[in-house]
Amino acid sequence: MTRLLHVEFFKLRKRMMTWVVGILLIALVILLYTVLWSISGRVSHFGEHNQFSAEDLRRALFLQGSVPFALEIAGSFGTILAIILAAGAVGSEYAWGTVRLMATASSGRVRLLLAKLAVIFALTAFGVLLAVLVAVAYSAIITYANGGSDYSFVTASFVRGEFAAFGRTLFVMAPYISLGFAAAVIGRSTLAGAAAGIGTAFIEPLVTGLMRAGGSPWKDIPNYLLNANVDVISAQNALPAALPRFGASRADLIGQNVNSLEGATLVLILYIVGFVALALFAYRRRDITAGA
Amino acid sequence: MEQREILRTEGLWKRYGSLTAVADMNLRVHSNEVFSFLGPNGSGKSTTVGMMLGLVRPTKGRALIFGDDMATRPWPVLKRIGAVIESPAFYPYLSGYDNLRAVAIALGDIPDARIDQMIELVGLRERARDPYKNYSLGMKQRLGIASTLLRNPDLVILDEPTNGLDPAGTREVRELVPRLAREGHSVFLCSHLLHEVQAVSDRVAIVKQGRLVAEGTVDELLGRGQYLRLRADDNEALARALGGIDWVRGVDRLDGYLRASAPVARAAELNRVLAMQGVYVAELSPWETELESVFLDLTGEESPA
Repeated sequence: MTRLLHVEFFKLRKRMMTWVVGILLIALVILLYTVLWSISGRVSHFGEHNQFSAEDLRRALFLQGSVPFALEIAGSFGTILAIILAAGAVGSEYAWGTVRLMATASSGRVRLLLAKLAVIFALTAFGVLLAVLVAVAYSAIITYANGGSDYSFVTASFVRGEFAAFGRTLFVMAPYISLGFAAAVIGRSTLAGAAAGIGTAFIEPLVTGLMRAGGSPWKDIPNYLLNANVDVISAQNALPAALPRFGASRADLIGQNVNSLEGATLVLILYIVGFVALALFAYRRRDITAGA
Repeated sequence: MEQREILRTEGLWKRYGSLTAVADMNLRVHSNEVFSFLGPNGSGKSTTVGMMLGLVRPTKGRALIFGDDMATRPWPVLKRIGAVIESPAFYPYLSGYDNLRAVAIALGDIPDARIDQMIELVGLRERARDPYKNYSLGMKQRLGIASTLLRNPDLVILDEPTNGLDPAGTREVRELVPRLAREGHSVFLCSHLLHEVQAVSDRVAIVKQGRLVAEGTVDELLGRGQYLRLRADDNEALARALGGIDWVRGVDRLDGYLRASAPVARAAELNRVLAMQGVYVAELSPWETELESVFLDLTGEESPA
């Protein structure tokens, strides 16, 4: 298995797409920080409900809020990029015909696919960490430049909370990555994986919104889908109120009939396991021919 | 060198819906031999090789290599096989060297020196660091051969290894194949260059529409030693005389010559018998057949693929 992890890492590390995806995520963090800082004196609300003062937004961009904000970006745009990475890692093997090369050089199809998925998750985690580090660095500059160098907030519980937020973010990305991965394996193409993963990430919130508005029997169905459960978990991240949030906040979820934290976790785990099992089942049984 | 059976297919079938790609394929390949597998396009060669490597699931039957069933336990055996099927496929963004390195990492226990050695062997040293996507078809074939030999395999499967190669490259491959056999490898060769196959093969199998139509040594398939070619001023009289000899099994007329089904070893005796009957032959020689003729006769193809 170590050999397969090594070779998958070797291939993805050498591939331009991996670097492009990483650079895009970092660029997005820098761009959002720059834009928010530049408008922080002029904007006092994002949407109807998120009202704040100019000082609120400035302080939100200081070090204390940098990790959750970077995770918010990674959990939304980063998920899209990770889906593309996962779908591309599988789909390209079919497009190039290298699926056969690796199938005859590796110690088993299931191991090969698991190694690929493990490396994709590892690179995703590394990308999210990189986004956090860039956000912290950028935020540190803003904080210093504006006399906010007070580190009393860095307590053991704060650090624990940030690590938990990091773990939660990776966890909510995992079902979408697994979906993109499985769809790429089953569809034998990058496009199939990217379309399934990104399509679900974009369209599901719209559909679940309609279901909630539709009342019984529709309103409970979203609790068994991805987005509502992702919101339950992501809302635990302590993002400063003034910063734009791409999913639901804790306040948004109050009064809604959503799953408990444990229930949401269980549903997402079932999805992750289901998607991965589907990919393994399809790949294990399938003939690997010239047309892939 | 003692030969043992290393590959055996037992009643191998592959059906895709109503289409039968491979039907009741029974092959035997022995150690240290060059075995050629011939057939027109779409005759089931690659599907058979796919089943042999565990890439394609047989509908019925099984493929055993080194005694292991490839459908259930392919990995220990795959480490001992080097194969390029149909056309070489590598990562386009990686260099030739890095592609071999990726294969070496996946296989394990292959030092960088071995990669260098294979690069050198196939003559890609100057272009080893160039991206694979910039390689010509011939260079891709060379890299495919290097990848095949990287693991120093007991069994080498080469599918159209001379595709895209220039005459010099083709000659190198033609020399490489028997050399591999001499060095202790067994070679399973799929090629449409029948004169090349004839020159390097120990045994040949010919398939048509998924079915094995002939298998044997090259000599057996060509009927070497079994036919004599004769011509006389009066071929009719010659044919009558041949018909009267009990150990001449048959006579055909082809291109102004007579082909007598008789052992080449008895050519002198035949000449003497004919002369005693007052029939004097102007030409008498072993009948030489090309593998291409046999192939075309058996498959009914215009040209092999």
